[in-house]
Amino acid sequence: MMRKITALGLVLGLLSVPVLAQKKIDYKEFDLDNGLHVIMHQDNTTPIVITSVLYHVGSKNEQPDRTGFAHFFEHLMFEGSPNIERGQYMNIIQSRGGTLNAFTSNDITYYYELLPSNELELALYMESERMLQSKVDQTGVETQREVVKEEKRQSYDNRPYGSILIETLKRAYTVHPYNWAPIGSLDDLNAASIEEFQQFYKDFYVPNNATLTIAGDLDYAQTEKWVRQYFAEIPKGTKEIYRPSVVEPKKTTEIRDIIYDNIQIPAVIQAYNLPKRTDADSYALSMLSTYLTGGNSSLMTKELVDKQQKALALAAIPLELEDGGIFIMYGITNMGVEPKDLETEVDKLIKQVQDQGISDQDFAKLQNIIENNLVSGNSSMAGIAQNLAESHVIFGDTEYINKEMEMYSKVTKADLQRVAKKYLDLNGRVVLYYLPKSAQPTE
Amino acid sequence: MKKIAIAFVLTLLVTGMSIAQVDRSKLPVAGPAPEIKIGEAESFTLANGLKVFVVKNDKLPRVSFTLVLERDPIMEGDKAGLLGLVGQMMMAGTENRTKDQLDEEIDFIGASLSAGSTSIFASSLKKHQDKVLELMADVLYNPKFPQEELDKLKKQTLTGLATSKDEPNAISGRLSSALVYGKDHPYGEVETEETVSNVEISDVKAYYETFFKPNIAYLAIVGDMDKAEAEKVVTKYFAKWEKGEVPKFTYKKPAPAAQNQVGLVDRSSSVQTVIDIAQPIDLTLGDADYISSRVLNQIFGGGSSSRLFMNLREDKGYTYGAYSSFSADKLVGEFSASASVRNEVTDSAVYEFIYEINKLAKDGVTEEELAQAKANLAGSFGRSLESPSTIANFALNTERYNLPKDYYATYLQKMNALTVEDINKTAKKLVDPTKLHITAVGNATEIKDKLAQFGEVKMYDNMGFPAKEMKMADANLTAESVVENYLKAIGGKANAQGVKTAKMNLEANVMGNPLGIAIVYDAENSAYGQKTSIMGNVMQATKIKDGKAEISAQGQKMELSGAQLEEAMINVYLFPEAWYQEKGFTITLDGLKDVEGTPAYKVIFASAGGAKLVNYYSEETGLKIKNENPASGDTFYSDYQEKEGVLLPMLWTIKSPMIPVPLEAKVTSLEINPVLGETDF
Repeated sequence: MMRKITALGLVLGLLSVPVLAQKKIDYKEFDLDNGLHVIMHQDNTTPIVITSVLYHVGSKNEQPDRTGFAHFFEHLMFEGSPNIERGQYMNIIQSRGGTLNAFTSNDITYYYELLPSNELELALYMESERMLQSKVDQTGVETQREVVKEEKRQSYDNRPYGSILIETLKRAYTVHPYNWAPIGSLDDLNAASIEEFQQFYKDFYVPNNATLTIAGDLDYAQTEKWVRQYFAEIPKGTKEIYRPSVVEPKKTTEIRDIIYDNIQIPAVIQAYNLPKRTDADSYALSMLSTYLTGGNSSLMTKELVDKQQKALALAAIPLELEDGGIFIMYGITNMGVEPKDLETEVDKLIKQVQDQGISDQDFAKLQNIIENNLVSGNSSMAGIAQNLAESHVIFGDTEYINKEMEMYSKVTKADLQRVAKKYLDLNGRVVLYYLPKSAQPTE
Repeated sequence: MKKIAIAFVLTLLVTGMSIAQVDRSKLPVAGPAPEIKIGEAESFTLANGLKVFVVKNDKLPRVSFTLVLERDPIMEGDKAGLLGLVGQMMMAGTENRTKDQLDEEIDFIGASLSAGSTSIFASSLKKHQDKVLELMADVLYNPKFPQEELDKLKKQTLTGLATSKDEPNAISGRLSSALVYGKDHPYGEVETEETVSNVEISDVKAYYETFFKPNIAYLAIVGDMDKAEAEKVVTKYFAKWEKGEVPKFTYKKPAPAAQNQVGLVDRSSSVQTVIDIAQPIDLTLGDADYISSRVLNQIFGGGSSSRLFMNLREDKGYTYGAYSSFSADKLVGEFSASASVRNEVTDSAVYEFIYEINKLAKDGVTEEELAQAKANLAGSFGRSLESPSTIANFALNTERYNLPKDYYATYLQKMNALTVEDINKTAKKLVDPTKLHITAVGNATEIKDKLAQFGEVKMYDNMGFPAKEMKMADANLTAESVVENYLKAIGGKANAQGVKTAKMNLEANVMGNPLGIAIVYDAENSAYGQKTSIMGNVMQATKIKDGKAEISAQGQKMELSGAQLEEAMINVYLFPEAWYQEKGFTITLDGLKDVEGTPAYKVIFASAGGAKLVNYYSEETGLKIKNENPASGDTFYSDYQEKEGVLLPMLWTIKSPMIPVPLEAKVTSLEINPVLGETDF
């Protein structure tokens, strides 16, 4: 027994000087006169190159009666341009050996193409066409409306627990446009006129609202030349870009509801409002989520999944958003366990962290996990490009990509207990029970 | 001033030039193809036979260790399911560490460590490599195999198995494996409740002791480590691993079908049919046809621009996606083409599949298709090289499949040299349109007859075994006599008709929550009411009265009309058998069916408006044992008891895609012929 303790002490001793060292990512950046920000990262190891454009528009930039626009554009923007036939955008990229995709969040819309490096000019051309003169017409709108309808059915309506984000956001925000999820409302999309779609394109798909990132097997000078060639002629937007300024007030009462869904097993959801993504407390909160549910030995997984077997799975995820996201926790109950029972146990563990904090051993473990995650995060060109773009847009400084580890290093053990108390306020949260839809009765 | 002017002119020139240069009407042409450099793996072998590959990549301070066992496939027989449990059992604690300690030590260094029946994988930051290797070696040498962990895992496996019995894709997978490989082949056998329950600790131990041997193992090290260091750490942790004799197994090669034939699993509640068309093929990695089979598949059904997708989804709209594969395997490979399609288009979809398969074997591919497929595959080959583990895989494959040393270095060259003729030759060799297993999982009543045009239709159960032969003893039996027998069995038509009204309460348990169902029947007035409540709150209610039907759920009301109203109206009777003549329903007998092991007659009641009601009556007892409803699920009736001169089922087991486990509802109260008021509905 004694020996074990000594061994543990040794290990701790060795690790108590956190050498949270990050491998530096080099890059070059410049701005065009039309406001387009360009970031390049060279890595010639593999002859591939990723080209991405981040448009600083997400569901939070939508009007309350026109939700789903930003995400809808993510589909519409593959419809082509005067030079690219309808439906050919994907085929062109794929027939040159590439792959492409896009996503939309509450804050941003992100497009990328991953191609053999000798096709970089093609990728730049394709993205410049999208920014300069993407097709926004009736046919495209109607086609993509159908596709989005199917997507909503598949990903939200038919997927068990698929509506968790929608239902949680709806209750976690009363005045801020984070109130609705990016998928938005099909009714709003149906009600919108073609002019409204065209206006959205003019308002948000402008170079001064975009960041172009190119990473991989590239030549800096040649890349810059091509970028200027294809993007310089795109006119700057004329309007100020709408960004909501409303601040979500702090909740003082708990919001509690039951959702009946096509699910097999009940789930308990808890959500707490978070500070802005750039707030210094974000790092402590991210570590706290790992402490609670990251890995088999984490507090809640070990206690509630492995030992008490009250939950089949548990996860705490900080959904970090520009204007302040939510710390969302969900637990799926084990057979025969009442949601209330699981919730009580979850609350007990949250209280334990708030009252007692965490041990030195656990804190050292968290630092190791975070370090491993950060090192692994920049392992692909696709990951690096996205991190570079988000560093510039969200954190206002591309160099942030090299500073993230430093920010985590500043977090202390006491910070974890402090943020648990400050943000995981049981009296200002949203609690949802997901229950199976009643059995359809037989006649 | 002059300087500024020059600068200004220059700017004009520069911008002017760049605009002039861009011709947006044409796609930029590709630059010269980049050289694809494939990193080399270094290798060495320990005295105990462990073969090690090292792929050094120090871009990031990480390193991973993948241990793979190369053994012959195993027939698990009456212990099927054992292999699926070995990995997690290895991770369930060692002689030195409990499971808790092991979990804690892995997480403490932010590492990953996992195991399967033929592998152990570990990865961590460079600075933690000694610790993670120590843990990996402990799992390899000293697994403890605790009984309570096996019990837990078996329970989980059985739960998963129960779910998969009703999962159409799982059923389809079992059926085509059973047909293509045969049940007496490792790739065709299935695990059942019985075989999983048979697995004991001693089996896990015996497997571990027999197969975890260095002489059949490969270790791939990828990341921040060179060969010299690898030799040191591998010797330290793996040199003491003792070699041993590992048994070898051979199996008869599965023969293709004699001719095209159809295998069908009846899943009566299906609204979609899962189609899989398959046959065994002779194809393994490194074969002359291997690379051309990749190109062939890309053209036929590998992606969203392939023939199957373009035909069945883009052109016909039968499905969300249709795909094919040519799997390569040392023992035996498989050609497969599959899609999930709407019931109504099942035969049309199979027709299109067969059409495409025939066309592929007969006419082959075009130059244009070949060029597109090559670009597509070359692109994904290039992208895959970004991950250093690809290089390790290449090295492993080169060894395991005895490939030429430059197989992957010249892979693209070999692919680009392929001609239309090469691809067509491979198509002819691998695809035989006359020896296909056409499998379908769906509503047999709707699709069985239509599938007969493609070959003899044989029925299978949801585990891939031939369905029990159901033959009516009396071929002249009619629906009328089945219904008559039923009425006789429950106490006679007069007694059944004597039940003019009824009030019934049922209670069930959903995940620990009580669920109540209250039903009222009024046969003469064709009225019906039903309320379902959870924890005392009414969740859903149906009211059918005066020719109108209304459904309300969570505060929303909906009045039914048209086909839905017809459907509701035919479902209002406690004993439709006693009233069908008065109400003008026609009845038809649809043969003898297997209802969970009990042979039962299927009778379809149809109203004048076209609505249908489907009931099953036990061949032996005459009693109604099942009601089938694709929309709301199937109800199974049991525990018949006599109430006021008629036999009524006291246990209703409801199975629906909406609920996870069968819902067992018990009748808790029953009133015959009560006076019904407005509030009862």
